[in-house]
Amino acid sequence: MRELITIEQKVLKKNGDIAADNQRELNRRGMFGVGLLSAPGSGKTALLERTLAALAGRARAGVIEGDVQTDRDARRIAALDVPVVQIVTNGTCHLEARMVQEALSRLPDDIDLLFIENVGNLVCPASYALGEHRRVVVTSTPEGEDKPLKYPAVFRGADAVVINKIDLLPHVPYDIDQARAFALQVHPAVLVFETSALTGAGIAAWVDWLLAEKRRSADARQ
Amino acid sequence: MHEASIVREILETAGARAGGARVRQVRVEVGQLSGVSPDALTFYFEILRGDTVGPQAELEVALVPLRGRCTACGRAARLQELTWSCAQCAGALVFDNGTELSLTSLVVEHA
Repeated sequence: MRELITIEQKVLKKNGDIAADNQRELNRRGMFGVGLLSAPGSGKTALLERTLAALAGRARAGVIEGDVQTDRDARRIAALDVPVVQIVTNGTCHLEARMVQEALSRLPDDIDLLFIENVGNLVCPASYALGEHRRVVVTSTPEGEDKPLKYPAVFRGADAVVINKIDLLPHVPYDIDQARAFALQVHPAVLVFETSALTGAGIAAWVDWLLAEKRRSADARQ
Repeated sequence: MHEASIVREILETAGARAGGARVRQVRVEVGQLSGVSPDALTFYFEILRGDTVGPQAELEVALVPLRGRCTACGRAARLQELTWSCAQCAGALVFDNGTELSLTSLVVEHA
């Protein structure tokens, strides 16, 4: 005898539940979480180094670094005297909420702005909530302006897009207005920043936004 | 590539809900903006099904149609395949759904 069993359960529900726990933990410890996602090599860590320097004296930053292998990125962050925990996924193509939960337990409490740098990948991380308050996709000029159309899921899940490496604009065939238009096509409400982690161009506006969002999030919880 | 861990979770839930009955079919629903490839789900399902639901179980993936409207002419859109511009006026489309990823039901066989 055959029987139909109705389930109607979201796949990744467990990950979603742990992500919700992570956000409660961040709130309890007074941390504002910002997730950074991008393709490999778009400059997430360089952007983070610039951002951390600009935040000095304005916020107590901390970082969770996700990589498939090595602690090279964590050492770059630690060199700036910023608390950092490295997650090495050993082959897994994305961070999962349980990895962040474990990393949170190893971070000191005196952090109020926590960056979570995902594994470089524009596909897989899109499906996994981590518990961060805001999600940011970093893309860069040598990658081409059509990234939002090719990877719509990750761009639709983002609160902001950072177009990095604008110092290369004179040297690469990248139409930045078209890139903005593509990002807005995929996600009409998304904010777009233009930065160069190399020269520091655009960093001030990006950092102001981070601090404003952090305040907004804290106010909303009161 | 993350489809392998998604399939593992589907199989775990399906195995538990089948309660010892023989699983014939596992039905899932995938949105077109979920970032999950139906082909990759099927590929990993066939590799991984043996340990939980058994080799006789089949995966059925239902693609959820995208619902939205054109920001220029206001025409409602219902799409089986993702496009970003209106078929009528080429204006930009916005969508109300697309990120679905659910285990909807099982077909089991009692001995």
